[in-house]
Formats: sequence, C-alpha cells, structure tokens
Amino acid sequence: MDKILVVDDDIDILTLVKMSLSLNGFKVEAISKWEQIYKSISGFVPDLILLDVSLGGADGREICKRIKTTTETEHIPVILFSANTEMEKSIGDCKAQAFIAKPYELGHFLDVIKSTIKHSKPN
Amino acid sequence: MQVFTSIIVVSIFAGIFIATDIKDYKTRKANSVASIAHIISANSITPLLFQDNNEAKKILTELKNTSPDIVNAVIIDSAAKIFAIYSRVDAGPLEISHFLNGKTTEFSGKQLFVSENIMNEKQLMGKVLLEVDLSELEAIKKSRYEMAVILLLAAAVLSFLIASIVQRYISRRLLYLVDKMKQVSVTGNYNTTIVDNGKDEIGTLIRVYNNLMEQVRESQHKKDEFIGIASHELKTPLTSIKGYLDLLNTMEERQPNKQFVQKASDSVTKLERLIKDLLDVSKIQSGQLQLNIKEFNIDELINETINSFQMVSESHTIVKEDGLHYEQVLADRQRIEQVLINLLSNAIKYSPGENKVLVKSKRDGDHLLIQVRDYGIGIAKDELSEIFERFYRTKDSSVHISGFGLGLYICRDIITRHGGTIWATKEPKGSSFYFTLPIQQNSVTNPSSNNSNN
Repeated sequence: MDKILVVDDDIDILTLVKMSLSLNGFKVEAISKWEQIYKSISGFVPDLILLDVSLGGADGREICKRIKTTTETEHIPVILFSANTEMEKSIGDCKAQAFIAKPYELGHFLDVIKSTIKHSKPN
Repeated sequence: MQVFTSIIVVSIFAGIFIATDIKDYKTRKANSVASIAHIISANSITPLLFQDNNEAKKILTELKNTSPDIVNAVIIDSAAKIFAIYSRVDAGPLEISHFLNGKTTEFSGKQLFVSENIMNEKQLMGKVLLEVDLSELEAIKKSRYEMAVILLLAAAVLSFLIASIVQRYISRRLLYLVDKMKQVSVTGNYNTTIVDNGKDEIGTLIRVYNNLMEQVRESQHKKDEFIGIASHELKTPLTSIKGYLDLLNTMEERQPNKQFVQKASDSVTKLERLIKDLLDVSKIQSGQLQLNIKEFNIDELINETINSFQMVSESHTIVKEDGLHYEQVLADRQRIEQVLINLLSNAIKYSPGENKVLVKSKRDGDHLLIQVRDYGIGIAKDELSEIFERFYRTKDSSVHISGFGLGLYICRDIITRHGGTIWATKEPKGSSFYFTLPIQQNSVTNPSSNNSNN
C-alpha cells in the first residue's frame, strides 16, 4: 500500500483529501502544521508528499526545495497543491514532480498521484 | 493667427520708426538751413549798408559749394526789392508767396522755405530768403519704406516659421497624448506613463494624465489583489464542496440521490468557471495573462473538446466537418481549449430547442480558420462587435442567459495574443464565430502521418 503525506493548513480540505485517498487504497498521514513535516517524513516514510503552497506562514515551494535538496528526502516525489494556477509554473524551479489545482476533479487527482508514484519507483 | 499678429505689430513699429525718422530729419534740416540763413543775414549787413550788390552776390554764390541743396537764395532790402540773387543751375523761379505768411520756416511739397530778417541795431535792413531742395528727404523716405517692406516680409516669414515649429511641437505632444489615451481606452491597459519635461500648459496636462493613470493603476492593483485573495478564498471552500460531492458520487448508487449529487456538481462546475473568468479578466487587465506556448496538434484538441462536450450535452449534437489533418500549431493548448469550450457552450446556450452545432476548420493561407456555427437565436447586426466587450450581455430578452458576460472578452484577448483574430457573423439562421491562428511554416504537417494533406 502506497503511503502519502498530505500537508494543508485547511482542515476541511485535509479531511477531504485524506478520505478520498484512503477510500482509493492509499495509506495517508495528514498534517495541518508544516513544522511537523520532517518528523512525519522520518516517522511515516511516505512514497509521495502532497504539499499545499500557501501554508499560513510558510511557502510550500520553499519547503519542497528543501526536501529536494536534502539527501535523505530528495527521492520522495512532491506534488504541489494550490488554488493559484500560476503555481504550476514554479514546479520546475522547486523540483516538484507535478501540480494539482484546487478545486480538483477526483479522477484527475487520483491519476496524477498514481502516475507520479509509478514514475518515482525504480522498475 | 500668430503670423497676422506679428505683422501688425511690426508694421506699427515700422510706421512709428519712419515717422520719427522723417520728423527728425526735417527738424535737423530746418535748423541747419536756419543757421545758414542766420550767417548770410549777418554777413549781408555790410553789403546792404554800402549797397554792394556784388559782395552780396558773392556771399550767396558761396552756397553752391557749402550747401548744394539750396536751390534759390535771395536777399531783399527793406523796401522788399531784390538786392542779390543766386539760383542753382537747374532751379525754377522762386515763388515769393511762400515767404509772405510770416513763418520763418515752411515745408511745402519737396521744398523747404526759410526766411531770416537782416537786423542792424534793431533796424530791419532786409531779408534772406532760401529755398531748399528736399529730394534727399524723398530718397530717405523711399529707402525707409523699402526697408519697412523687407522687414515686414522677413517678420512674416520668420513668425510663420517659428509659429509652425511651435505649433508642430505643441500638436505633436497633444496628438501623442490623445494617442495614448485612445490606447488606454481600447486595451484597458493602464501601464502607460508619458515622459514630458515641458513647463507649459501641455506639460501640466501630461502631468495630470500621468497622475490620473497612477491613481487608476493603484486602484487596479488593489482590485486585482482583492480578486486574487477573494478567488483564493472562494476556491478553498469550493474545493471541499466539489471534493465531497465527487466522493459522494462515487459511493452513492441510489436514485434519485445520485442525480441530486450530479446536479450539485454541475452547479459547482459553473461556479468554478465564473471564478476562473473573473481571475482571467483581472489578469488581462493587469497585463499578467501569459501564454504557455507549445507545439500541439489542433485536430486532436478540437476532437477532444467536442467529445468532452458531447458527453455532457444531451440536447445538442456537435458535428465536425473535417478540413484539417494533423495540423501542428504553436500555441497555448489550455487557452485555445478555453476558447473552444467558450464558443461551444455559447453555441449550445444560445440555441435552445435546436439540436445541432457545427464545427469547421480549414487552412486559410498562413492561418488556420476555425468556425463554430449554431442555428439558434442569432445576433443583431449592431451587436456583432459589441459582444466581445467586457460585461456585455445580449439585449435580446427572449432568452435568459446566465454568466458575467466575460467569456468572449477573454476569448478575444487570448486569440489576439496568439496573433489571430476572432469575430462573429450573422447567418440566415443562428450565427457563426470564427477565429484564426497563425501557422508556423515548418510545423504544419506531421511527416509520420499517413493522412498527410499534401
């Protein structure tokens, strides 16, 4: 079972995403406080991180950059998650694997997550 | 006007100058002749006392050398008889009448007449009468008039030149300002500032314009910021609503519950599109709408869009008349899709009770021409261009249409940014929307395709 770490400061969305992913066969850890992300990564060991961009006090893009430049975590794929569609342009810059816009289409949402995990795993 | 004014001013000054000059000359002449008369009168006392005509004549003849402009000179004695006379070679007869009015100097025509009493110890012994030729004055007058005319002409030409240069400078700046203002009203882009260091009224006007634009920009910026925040705040709860509805949709199999969920989802999709349109307009106005240009196959995009529409539209059949085969274009795929979706949903929206929408595409020179035709209520002729304006809603009250009236405005902006054009025409029944996209010459055909259009 693939493990996904979801980070979003909006509790409603966090609950929704957790439920949607759980119902579709993922193991999910959902956190609303970005400060806990490193603890969660080392404890939960996710196969993918779904990361909100505006995290109330922190920029998801900066966090992504840090994850991607740390040796222990750089292999974990990150998907940026935002209502601001302009953020799609910055995925290359912060080395994220994909972007999902809010509001999302459930089908598309699951497709992106599945294909990102698939691409990140060695054959 | 300036030319006219300056000519009048110059003529007035020239007139005053000439008049003063002539008056001056006359005064000087009268004085110098009077002093000559005085000298002659002083020298004539002795000849008169001794009745020495020859000596008197000699004095007068001296005038030939000293004052060649004296035409006639006469000395009369106390009985008014001519005592001595001198006449220049070309002189006419001396008219005594000019000396009888009692004045000592008199200008008459081209002559000056001067008389001087010859007094010896308070006893009048006779008079010296002089007639002076003033042709020198005529020459001076003539040259002054000539100078005045030349001066006038020069002033006219000069003031015309200066006026036209100044005018061109003024009107150039004014026209530039008008041009900028037109641009602003057409494009709605307020990011214009005019650089002008003029200290005159136009400079003030331009400064006022710049300040105005600055204020507009500031309020635009606030509005954009507001729309940005508002749409983010709107999108976040919408994400929950949409997400939960999607979840419910996958779990709920009972009718009519599933149908209710579907209806709620459709409304959420509409709301989502409205928020997206508002954001797009705000981006267009602040010049932040950027295209993500990539090469893609336009046929594929048209087919995909039609198919996705066909899945949700139960009322209409979208027919594609094929004219293209694997046409590659360089454009923003998502934005072109947005245009197609807009035109198709308009076609369906504005043709209630009909069941057909036609999509045609063909190559037209170095452009692709795409047509979306409906058989609906049509567009009034005077509305054909207005429909692309912001917040424009049809005046046709026979249909109730929802939305902000932003769709076509956004479409026009997207197509224009791609270097294409978009327009609408009236059809016998319904209307057609056309848009063009430029094709890059080196990317028109897909060589691996069997259906090459060559």
